[in-house]
Parts: sequence; C-alpha cells; structure tokens
Amino acid sequence: MDFDIIFGNAARAAFGPEAVILALAAIGLNVHFGFTGLLNFGQVGFLLLGAYGTSVSVATFGWSLWVGILVGLVLSVALAVALGFPTLRLHAVMFAIVTIAAAEIIRILIGSTDAIGLTGGPLSVSFDAGAFYDLNPYPDGPHDRYGVGTFEFTGQQMWVITVGWVLVALVSLVVFLIVRSPWGRVLKSIREDEDAARSLGKNVFSYKMQALIIGGVIGGMGGVVDAIKTSGADPNGFRPQVTFFAYTALLLGGAATYLGPVLGAILFWFLREWIESFLRQLTAEAWLPDAVADFLSGSEGVISVAMVGLTLVLLMLFRPQGITGNRIEMQLDAR
Amino acid sequence: MPDDVMPRPESASADTAIEPILTVPPVAGVPKPHPILVVDELTRSFGGLRAVDVDHLEVERGVVTALIGPNGAGKTTLFNLLTGFDRADTGRWSFDGQPVSSPSPDQLARKGMIRTFQLTKSLAKLTVLDNVLLGAPSQVGERLSAAPFRSRWQNQEEANIELAEELLDRFNLAHMRDELAGTLSGGQRKLLEVARALMADPVMIMLDEPMAGVNPALAQSLMHHITQLAFEGLTVVFIEHAMDVVTGISDWVVVLAQGRIIAEGPPWKVIHDDEVIDAYLGRRRAGG
Repeated sequence: MDFDIIFGNAARAAFGPEAVILALAAIGLNVHFGFTGLLNFGQVGFLLLGAYGTSVSVATFGWSLWVGILVGLVLSVALAVALGFPTLRLHAVMFAIVTIAAAEIIRILIGSTDAIGLTGGPLSVSFDAGAFYDLNPYPDGPHDRYGVGTFEFTGQQMWVITVGWVLVALVSLVVFLIVRSPWGRVLKSIREDEDAARSLGKNVFSYKMQALIIGGVIGGMGGVVDAIKTSGADPNGFRPQVTFFAYTALLLGGAATYLGPVLGAILFWFLREWIESFLRQLTAEAWLPDAVADFLSGSEGVISVAMVGLTLVLLMLFRPQGITGNRIEMQLDAR
Repeated sequence: MPDDVMPRPESASADTAIEPILTVPPVAGVPKPHPILVVDELTRSFGGLRAVDVDHLEVERGVVTALIGPNGAGKTTLFNLLTGFDRADTGRWSFDGQPVSSPSPDQLARKGMIRTFQLTKSLAKLTVLDNVLLGAPSQVGERLSAAPFRSRWQNQEEANIELAEELLDRFNLAHMRDELAGTLSGGQRKLLEVARALMADPVMIMLDEPMAGVNPALAQSLMHHITQLAFEGLTVVFIEHAMDVVTGISDWVVVLAQGRIIAEGPPWKVIHDDEVIDAYLGRRRAGG
C-alpha cells in the first residue's frame, strides 16, 4: 500500500482541470439554487453547450478558438432564455423537471447519428486547441514537471489549470460583488418567498431570468474549459450525473456561500480519487480474500462515487450546512 | 379597552383627514369626497362559489378603513384581487386616479399600493435589517449594471439603513437588527412585515390581520402607529376580526358578507347596524 501515490492522485484530481470544471458548474448552480432558489437540475446542459459550442465552431466551421468560446457562451445564454421564458413563472418543481428534461434532450440530439455531420454525433468531436496552448508560458518538454513528489503536473496541464483557477477566482469575485449588493438581496428574497418580493415591487421574473443567465453562463465556462482540456467533446461526458456531482460539491462546500462551491469541488475530487486509488491498491494486497478482491477490481470508480454519495448523506445528517455554511440558517428551514 | 390605553390624535386628525369622511352617509357603495381607490363590478368565483361580488366601493384617501366580515366573507380574496395577487373574473378599478387594468402585484406595489399578508412572509434567512431594506423603493443597487460597484449605491444604501433603523426602533425591533428574521416570534414577524411595508414608502397600505398573534402590548403600539400613519396622510385599509381594534382605530368600516358589501360607515354606526349583526350572528327571528 503506497499512500504517497494515493495522495498524489487525489491531490492532482483536487486541483486539476476536472475540479475547475466542477467548481464552475457548482458556482453557477449556487447562483441558481443557493441564492435564488431555482431548482436547476439541468446544469449539465449549460456545460454541454459551452463545450459543443466551442468544439463545433472550430472543428466543423473552422472558426478560430476564440470565436468558438464566444459561441459556447452565447449558446449558454440562449439556453437560459429559452428555458426561462416558459418555465420561470411555473412552480419550482415544474422548473426542475423541465431543466433536467431539456438537458437530456440536447444531449440526445447532439449525440444522435443524424447529427454526425454537425457535432460528430455519438462519435464525439475533436478539434485543435493549439491557439490556447500557444500561449502556454510553462516550458513543456517531455521531462518538465511542476509540483512536489507525486503531486505534479505537466507544462500543458499547468497552463490549463492556471487559467482555470484564475477564471474560478474571477467568477467567484464577480458573484461575490453582485450578490452582496441590493441586487443580491432581491435574489435571496425571491428564494425565501416570491410573493413577499412581489408585494414590495420587485419584478420577480426579471430577477430570476438574470440569475438563470448568469449561473448558466458560468456553467458554460465550465464546458469551455472541458472542451479545451480534452480538445473536443463527447456526448457521454454530459450525462445528468454531472449536474448531481455539481450539487454534491455545492452542498459539501455550503450552498449560498461564496467559497462553498469551490471548496466543495476540490473536496469532491480529492475524496473521489483518494477512495478510488485506495481501492485499486487494496485489490492488489495479498491478504485480501479472493472474493472481495474480485468484487472490488474493475469497479473502484463506481464504488468511489458511491462513497462520495455516502459522504454526502453523512454530511446532511451531521453538518447540513456544508463546510462553510451557517448552521443557524439551515435550521430555519425546519420551521 | 384599547381606547383608554391608546390615545388617538383626535384633535389634529379631526381637523384634517377625518372630517370629510364624517359627512359621508353610511350607505353601502357610497361615493367619498377624496377616493384613492374606486372599484366597480368586481367579481371573482371559485367554481360555483362567488367569493367576491362588489358593485361599487370607494376608499377615502388618508383615513383608516377597516374591512370586516364573518369568516369566509371574501375579505382576503378582495385584498388579493385589488393588489394583483389574484385575477378578477370581471371588474375595473382605479388607484390614485389611474385606471388599473390587468394589474401585476409588483407594478401596483411600485405605484404605492403595499400589502402585508395574513400568514406573515418574513424572509427567514435574511437579517431583520435586510428584510426592511428590501422594502426601499427605486434602489440603484438593485439593477444588475450597478450592483457590482458599491460606490454607485452606497450612499443610497446608507440613507436607507438610517430610515430602516428608525422603523425598527418604532416597532421595538431595533435590538433584533442583525438577527435572522426566522428567529423572530410570530408577533415580531407581523411587526417586521409592517415595518417593511412602510419602508416601501406607500401611498396606501393594506394590512391583512395585522394584529393576529401580536401580544396585547405590541398590538397597542401597532394600533397607535397605524393611526399615526393615517394622521401623516397615508391611506390604511386593514382586515380585522377583533371588534375592539376596529372601533379603536378605524375611521370608516366596510362590512363584507358572502362576497358583497352589506354595509359601510363610521364604526360606531356600523356595529349597531341590523344587517351587520345578522351577518355575524345569523338571521334574527322576527320579533325576537
């Protein structure tokens, strides 16, 4: 059992591009769910449009990467508007149903064989993200490594995560600035009681739409990072569980807090990778009974996701406000 | 009873706001000298039940009007219709001289018609101060384009905080300023809601059972505030069941039964009206 390797794997996942993507998805959800009370179960739809908007623009239409990123973000806004107009006046539960359905519809359409010419369909799409890596200031020779011990990245990875975490920091700052303002106060009042906000002259629909667009675009940025990281997009990467992972990260860190979604995303990937690596090493141990080893081997990934789920259950039981949340605020829900 | 505990600013208000209303004959649907709200042929049915059926109603500006009636008379439904929280089947009405067509609650609120709710809607996870600040009208910082830049809304916010603190002080909530509103007692939440409504700088305030669940001492001070507000020129309409409250603070009483206005007039006349007593106690027997 080599805990150095287990820790290295976990730390790389916690600070790698996957955590950046999850953090952005969770920050967007925080604007929707944490601050405005919008039960968006289709956050993955925004990531998908961000990723596919970028990939398809470059791969299919041959536009520059920067135009592609813009297209991805514009598509995220379009999805927010398209979802919001018919559904934001409905009950919160209806909104949840529509969002999860919309995200699935988009994924299935994009991954269908009829869409091969445009999006690559089930075959996924790939493009050359060279325009991004050309700007990489980190020397990226075959032996260049950055980090300590087993916690290290290549030059290319360093460039992606540097840009990614700077983006996370900027987005968090913007969210902080707008939510601590009177504008954010209106969002929270809508979360607590829409009718109260209306009775004081606030245009609830307009605020919900603004929140939906902002959180959606932030999710779209996560998709753009995903597209650049993998130089493409695959419909299987945008299944509904992405949304649920983002919710897990958000609740782990603490909904309606500013740092919660970021800490939650880091912790989510750390735990998930730590458990998975641990299980992989465990199956190699000689003292383990064969039946147990057989059961574990090959399903480490699945078990680790289940363990993260278990962590979430325990968290809800013993610290429902998440890591950074306010316990008293949570208890008010029960009244 | 309330009258001896809570002195009304009688001498002053009698000269200004109350006097014209005293000249109005106590007849259902009677026109008033300075109506702020005029309602015509307003109906609302739920299935076969006609919850509200008002031919004509005028609410006088700057006075305290009580809306009373037995349970199920349609008082809250009428409130919901007038404030845009429910849609009328038929009817037209004007507020502050302007006709109101297909009203939305937030538009009406921005025109100065602010209501409170029978079941309080305090915003549990906002502080008491933030609850009141939310009421402030036309806030620059509530526009997304200005929100990130504190310098653009800070002055207005500070002025609003000052005003909000005065209101909290008035309603004995100053010590709870930074507590979450969800930790308040039921009565304190009622007071908070009234404070928040006043923060919105209303022309007319509509209170749905403001005294329910408020302890007697606080209710006294709330009643005092309401009369004071009318004295300062605000129009107040409130729903209430407690007759001592109605006679204590209202200048005019409108009686609703089965969705219709069956009587209106000054409180001391209305409470002796035969039809009103019938509505509350059931039909009296002939000669009984």
